[in-house]
Amino acid sequence: MTDDQWPEAPRPTDVTVAPSEPGGLPPETRPAVVPPTHGSRTTYDREMAEVKDNVLRMGSLVEDQIRAAIAALVAHDAEAALQVIRDDWQINDLQRKATGMIAATIATQNPVARDLRFLLTLDHVSYELERMGDHAGSVAKQARKLAPFPPLKDYVRLPILGERVATLVHGIIRALVEVDEAAARRVAALDDEVDALYHQIFDEVLVLMRDDPANVDPGTRILFASHYLERIGDRVTNIAEDIVFLASGEVEDLNQ
Amino acid sequence: MPVESPDAPVRGSSADGVGPAIRIAAAGEREADQDIARETVIELQDLSCYYGSFRAVRNVSLEVKKQQITALIGPSGCGKSTLIRTVNRMNDLVPGYRTEGKLLLDGQDLYGRGVDPVAVRRRVGMVFQKPNPFPKTVWENVAFGPRINGYKGNLNELVEHSLRRAALWDDVKDKLKQSGMALSGGQQQRLCIARTIAVEPEVILMDEPCSALDPRSTLQIEELMAELKRDYTIVIVTHNMQQAARASDTTVFMTMGDDRAGYVVEQAPTIEIFTNPKNQLTEDYVSGRFG
Repeated sequence: MTDDQWPEAPRPTDVTVAPSEPGGLPPETRPAVVPPTHGSRTTYDREMAEVKDNVLRMGSLVEDQIRAAIAALVAHDAEAALQVIRDDWQINDLQRKATGMIAATIATQNPVARDLRFLLTLDHVSYELERMGDHAGSVAKQARKLAPFPPLKDYVRLPILGERVATLVHGIIRALVEVDEAAARRVAALDDEVDALYHQIFDEVLVLMRDDPANVDPGTRILFASHYLERIGDRVTNIAEDIVFLASGEVEDLNQ
Repeated sequence: MPVESPDAPVRGSSADGVGPAIRIAAAGEREADQDIARETVIELQDLSCYYGSFRAVRNVSLEVKKQQITALIGPSGCGKSTLIRTVNRMNDLVPGYRTEGKLLLDGQDLYGRGVDPVAVRRRVGMVFQKPNPFPKTVWENVAFGPRINGYKGNLNELVEHSLRRAALWDDVKDKLKQSGMALSGGQQQRLCIARTIAVEPEVILMDEPCSALDPRSTLQIEELMAELKRDYTIVIVTHNMQQAARASDTTVFMTMGDDRAGYVVEQAPTIEIFTNPKNQLTEDYVSGRFG
C-alpha cells in the first residue's frame, strides 16, 4: 500500500469538532447524524444532538492526544509526555457525561428504531474512545521513559504508525458524523495496513535488540508504544462496526 | 526495569476473534418464535372498507397467524378500528357500510353469501376500549354467552374456568353474585375478556383494551394476552406504541393517504418494526416524529 492511498491528514480547519456554544457545533459544521424526518421532537432531538457533540469532541481529543504523544516521544520531551498523560481526564470526563446523558435519554424518551441504534452506538463509541485515550496515555508513558535515551534508528517507523492511527481515528469519526457506512468500511480496511506496519516495526526492533543489548531498553519501549497504537486501530474497527449497525441495523464483524 | 504490560485482549482485536456484541439479543425469544411456520387464521385480500361513498380503508392485504398477537398501530383515523370491526362484522350495523375484497377466516369468506354474522362473532370475540360488563352479576356476565349458545355442560365450571383464564378468579371468587359494574376498571376489562373466552372463540379482537386502565391493570392485561395466545389468536388495536412493542409478535403499521383512506404501510415482526423498520413512514411514527 502506498501512502497516497491514505486519506489526507486533516487540516486544522478540517477538524469537525471543537468545543462550541451550548447545544452543539456551530451550524455550518453541524452534521446531519439524525436524518431529516417528517416531524420533530425538539427536546428529544436536542438531547441526542448534545450526546453526539459530546462524543465527537471525545474523538477530536483522542486524535490530538495520539499526535501529542508521538510528538513528545520524537522530541524526547518528558514534560510534554506528562501533559498528555494528565490531559486524559478530559476524555474520561466526556465519556462519563455521554453515558449519563444516554441513560437519561433512554429512560425518559423511549427511543426506538434508528434513534435507539444511534444512542446505543454512541454509548459504545464513547467507551471505545475512552480506551483509545488510555492507549494514547500509555504511549505517552513510554515517551517519558524513552526521553533519556538517544533515538533508536529514528524510532523505526513508529511516528508513521502514530500518524496513520490518528488519521484512522479522524476518518472514523467523520464516517460517524455522516453515518457513512461505505466510509466506515474503507477506514476499517485500512486497519490491516496498520497491523502490517506494526509487525514490520516489531521485526525490525527485534533485530536491533539482538544486534546490541543497549537497544533492549528503548526497543522494548518502542514495541509497547507501537502495540498501543495497533490497539487503537482495532478499536477504530469496532467503531466502524457500530457505524454499520447504526446505518443498517445489521451486526457485522469487520475483523474477518 | 519495570515495564507496563500490554492490555488484556480487547473485543474485536484480530487475535481474540470475538465478534461484536449483538445489542438486540433480548429479542431472541420472540425472534425464535417468528421462525415457527404458523397457520394463517385471518387473511385480508385487497380489502377496502366504505362508509357510503367514503373509502375508509383501501386495498389492505395481510395475514394474521395462529396463536400470535398482532398489533395494529397508526394515527387516529387511519382505519384501524374500522378494520378490526370488519373482522367480526360489527360494522354490519352501520348504515351504508360495505367492503370490497376478501376477508377469510380459516379460508372461509366472512362476507360470503349466507354467512351468519352472529356465528362469525361467536368465532371472533371482541373486547372494547371501555370495559362494558352487562349490568348483571359477575357470574351472569360470564355465563351469558354460553347460555344463549345452548351450552350443555356445567356452567359453574365454565364460569370458573373462564375467570381463571382471565386471571380474575382470585379477585372475584367471593363476589360472583355481585354486580360486574362494581369491579375496578381493570377487573371489569378482565371480566369482559372472561366473557369473551367463555364462548371459546378462535380469535380475540381487542380495540384499545387498556386505554382506560392504569399502568398496573394495563400490564396485567398484557400478561394475560401473553397467556391467552397459547389458545387464541389475538389482534389488538393500540395507540400505545410501547404496548405494541411489549406485547405483540407482529405489528402492522397503518396510516392514511391524501384521500383520507387508511392503508397498510408495513407489516413485520414487532422486533423489526421497533429496531429497524424498512419504511421511513414507520420509522417516523414509531420514533414519535409525527407528520
